[in-house]
Amino acid sequence: MSLKDLISPFYVWQRAFQKPYTQKRPIEERPGAPRYRGFHINLTEECVGCGSCEAICQNHAIDMVKVEGLEPRNGDSGLRPKFDYGRCCWCALCVDICTARSLRLSNHYAWVTEDPDAFHFIAGTDAMPWNQNSLGYRRDDDYHLLTHDRIEMDALSPEESLKGFDEVMKGYTEEQALLEADRCVECGICVATCPAHMSVPDYIKAVRNKDWEGGLKLLYETNPFSTTCGRICTHRCETDCVLGLQGTPIAIRWLKRAIADRVPAERYAEILNDTFTENGKKVAIVGAGPGGMSAAYYLRKQGYGVTVFEAQAHGGGMLRYGVPSYRLPENQLDKDIDYIRSLGVDVRFNTRVGQDVPFSELMDNHDAIFIATGLSSPMKLRIDGEEHPRVVSGLKILDDVAKGQDPGVGKRVAVIGGGNVAMDAARVSRRVGADVTVLYRRRIEDMPADPEEIHESKAEGCHLVPQAIPVKIKDADDPNQVVIVWGEAEMVSDAKGGRPRPVLQEDRMHEETYDTIVSAIGQGGDYDFMGECLGSIEQKWGKFIPGAYQQTGVSKIFVGGDIANSTADAISAVEDGHHAARGIHRFLSEEGLQ
Amino acid sequence: MFEPAAPVDLSSGKYLKLWQGPQHPGITGNMSLELTTCGDEVVACKTHVGYLHRGFEKLMERRTFIQNFTIVCRIAVPEPTFNEYLYAAVVEELSGIKAPERAEWIRTFNLELMRLGSYLMWLGGVGAAFGQSTIYQWTVTHRDYILDLFEEMTGARVYHMYIVPGGVRGRLPEGFEDRARKVLDGVERLLMDVEKILFNNVVFKTRTKGLGVITKDMVDPYGITGPNQRAAGFARDVRRDSPYLMYDEVEWDVITGTASDTYERAWVRLQEMHQGIRIMRQVLDRMPTGGPFQTPLPNVLHWEVPKGETYIKAECTRGEYGYYLVTDGSQYVRRVHVRGPSYTHAIALMEKMAVGTNIADIAGLMVSLHTYPPEIER
Amino acid sequence: MATPTALLDELGKRYTLSEIHIQRDDLLFLKVTKPQAVRFLKDLRDDAGYTHLTFMTNIDYIEDGRFTLTYMLHNYDTHHEIGVHVDLDRDNAEMDSIHNLWAQGRTYQCELREMYGIRFPGSPGLDDDFCLEGWDQIPPMRKEFDIVAFSEERFGNRPGRGSTDPREHMGTVMYPEHRDGTEH
Repeated sequence: MSLKDLISPFYVWQRAFQKPYTQKRPIEERPGAPRYRGFHINLTEECVGCGSCEAICQNHAIDMVKVEGLEPRNGDSGLRPKFDYGRCCWCALCVDICTARSLRLSNHYAWVTEDPDAFHFIAGTDAMPWNQNSLGYRRDDDYHLLTHDRIEMDALSPEESLKGFDEVMKGYTEEQALLEADRCVECGICVATCPAHMSVPDYIKAVRNKDWEGGLKLLYETNPFSTTCGRICTHRCETDCVLGLQGTPIAIRWLKRAIADRVPAERYAEILNDTFTENGKKVAIVGAGPGGMSAAYYLRKQGYGVTVFEAQAHGGGMLRYGVPSYRLPENQLDKDIDYIRSLGVDVRFNTRVGQDVPFSELMDNHDAIFIATGLSSPMKLRIDGEEHPRVVSGLKILDDVAKGQDPGVGKRVAVIGGGNVAMDAARVSRRVGADVTVLYRRRIEDMPADPEEIHESKAEGCHLVPQAIPVKIKDADDPNQVVIVWGEAEMVSDAKGGRPRPVLQEDRMHEETYDTIVSAIGQGGDYDFMGECLGSIEQKWGKFIPGAYQQTGVSKIFVGGDIANSTADAISAVEDGHHAARGIHRFLSEEGLQ
Repeated sequence: MFEPAAPVDLSSGKYLKLWQGPQHPGITGNMSLELTTCGDEVVACKTHVGYLHRGFEKLMERRTFIQNFTIVCRIAVPEPTFNEYLYAAVVEELSGIKAPERAEWIRTFNLELMRLGSYLMWLGGVGAAFGQSTIYQWTVTHRDYILDLFEEMTGARVYHMYIVPGGVRGRLPEGFEDRARKVLDGVERLLMDVEKILFNNVVFKTRTKGLGVITKDMVDPYGITGPNQRAAGFARDVRRDSPYLMYDEVEWDVITGTASDTYERAWVRLQEMHQGIRIMRQVLDRMPTGGPFQTPLPNVLHWEVPKGETYIKAECTRGEYGYYLVTDGSQYVRRVHVRGPSYTHAIALMEKMAVGTNIADIAGLMVSLHTYPPEIER
Repeated sequence: MATPTALLDELGKRYTLSEIHIQRDDLLFLKVTKPQAVRFLKDLRDDAGYTHLTFMTNIDYIEDGRFTLTYMLHNYDTHHEIGVHVDLDRDNAEMDSIHNLWAQGRTYQCELREMYGIRFPGSPGLDDDFCLEGWDQIPPMRKEFDIVAFSEERFGNRPGRGSTDPREHMGTVMYPEHRDGTEH
């Protein structure tokens, strides 16, 4: 024992003069750190109710619940997370995974109440004292639990693609498809947006599991044009994909293609195993486009005898004659159509109803009729000089090319319009060697064409001129040429809150000479073949307005496709066909439809 | 090896059964010692654990790989980060992910800071067990300053949930390094004070020297690791022998003793706290302030880790902490086994060392082994 | 000190080793038959320098009807680790005790008896309670023990809980007519 050891402990006294460490609660507040994982806040307006928070919660502390006044709509399930603080451990995985980044934690950490049920609440919706806290845990910008960037698909270079009509997009490799499919959170919000309500999360899961056969079965439950839609679908689903909220949406369309491309046509029958017994009833379908053939497929699967009347020599409708083969190769379209035909669907090609066969015969000999003839009459520009021989429709050019004919557009082409037909007419013209200018009334972001089409046409050298309004077409000096007069437009916001309107600026007019002017501002339908039935079917702005299950005022006539919907795309036509098949089945099996 | 306790005839009136715990028998968490005493001498000791059994290993078998990282911190309450790091490390190894260097530096700092915090709590426990509660007040205060650092770094004081497979969950906050240095300076001053009033205290010296000696030949049979082993003269430290994170980038010494009695074990730990401060200062100097701190993970909602098994260990305050992970290619672990050093120290070793000890020294003896029941029961 | 490979060659002469898997330079796993296991561990400890029993545990392969014990041994000189696997019959799990090799062996064995129902004849205090005083169910770490069912039966759920699936909810409200019952 040393003296030092006796004395040393008394050193403790010096601390008696130091300021105490303790905080004087409740006089002094002690806020949580700026990053503190306290109580939940949800920005209800930004939340889309995808339920990823519920899926990742390791304690089952989160339920997705209905909230009063919040109805589901495209891109928002209308559900919001409800937290059970009897289970929550404030790990904030829900914050990390939140696809909308609407969920966060406040730095509020003390909450005392006598009501145990108060600890079971809807964050953000229920009034909580910390809802306005600006501090608390947020996901760091450089920390992710999800992959926000899409896996890019290999494509032909613009130089290569211009050389011919080979498919531009090469399709995902298996590795790419698996990586892209891995990004999905399986919320299923896209399913409502998809016109055909395809089982998107399920078939993406099939991709993840490399279960191509199971995937194909899922696709065919709602869409017999999967090879086609996997290429040219307008993919509305992707607009509402929750991964798009902070990055790029899942390439749902490409994943559909990934499945269809991996199953050879010869194996479809074996995998899909569509067996049925004939029920003896007959249905006529007018038009072998996606609408007609889809109806044919689903009707056939229920045992109906199906006859499809098609004016053209091949099936597919606008998919064949309106979509160039660099976007949709014909053999891929045939893969879908041939499978439907293989089930015993009788397709009569080169048979125009009203011309080669009277409509009355269809009415007399069939139990129901589905009409999906599509829009094949180009709309007029309604400007002077439109009848000039060097003005042709975009559809005509695409039709020529589809039939292997030279469209004969010359070296300088102006395309008027901003839809997919306009883009395709422009790109086809580039492929036959023309310089192409696209004139569009509104801004590029207003163009109805797919963003990919716009992007690719630019890459291929098409010159896009937005806010350009055609005013007049007149003769050029050379009879093989034509002159267009167009004026620049200013966008003026609409007083009623509609989209901005282009207004012609008379002082900024241009005059240009071209070999060909391609008019591609839209198409209309031709329904004369239906004769007197037409009077009983509701129409508006050149389109039919069907009732429930696509049924019309003539109870055995059902309509669908571009002539009966506002979206006028393949996937909507597919669903119209499917839905009409449901309707016809109900109608004919007396399950409700009169 | 195992010597059954001599049968004790309680009806003789010569012996008394005495329960130490389970209510925190000296900063060690909930476990109890069933002591058989003769006078004030312990003649037999049986340990009872299970008061904190929450079945973590079982719970982890039905949680996904990302979900598990939020519960492992609870396996050792005062040192959650070792669990977080080791869980992340085993998952990373089996899924072929490597955390970025910046994350490795942050993790190193995190682990060392935790070591310091945990040692401070233990140091208070030692003081309290030997009648010096003042030290407990001081050390817990400074531990709280460390928890403040954790709070601003991770968002929580105790259950940080910060080290995630693939990296860490966030960058260090603005000005964090300066505040961390200040806390380290404070702890360093505190340690000097503690050395004066505890380690140079005649009462403490008298009571602890020669108490609970771990001889060299006990180390292997009892699986003794960490400071308990180093105090017996083995210069074994996982950080040095199988370097992980950034430990081979920084300079520090492995502290050893000669006769692992209660005093020496405490002294080794005190020195290790200084080494920890030394490591942390170097980490603060060298830690990159830019660059990624997370390697992208597969979609965590359906993350499947390839089939395999591995064992990774780290040096925590109490010795070798390890995670043994067995995966079968599914979204769930097949088996995870948590190897906590307390498992051997608090049961087989404690039962041996308690015999022959004075009842009054039992709490101090337990604290000197530095054990945490949750990591025994898992 | 022999390298791990040389060591395996040497031990392979006397023991039936299988499923040798080198996970890292400092970690390998192998399987040894049940009758040879304890002698094998003793040889590793006494002759090869693997003196430290890091841990001992069990893996349940319910689908194969087997348990696989893992003994993790560490060599302090080479800092090398060997995980020794031993397969047991899951329905009649019994293993020789190692309490004479390492003092903490009996703790592990007591735990494995309680958590998995594995018998280690001769291990002191084997049937004492480890964690689960008063436990009346099957050994809880066995895969067939369902903790969710157990906790629901024992504790129940808080009233008022219940979740709605976003996709299902949207379908019911937004396009009920378009559903064929094929939804997943």
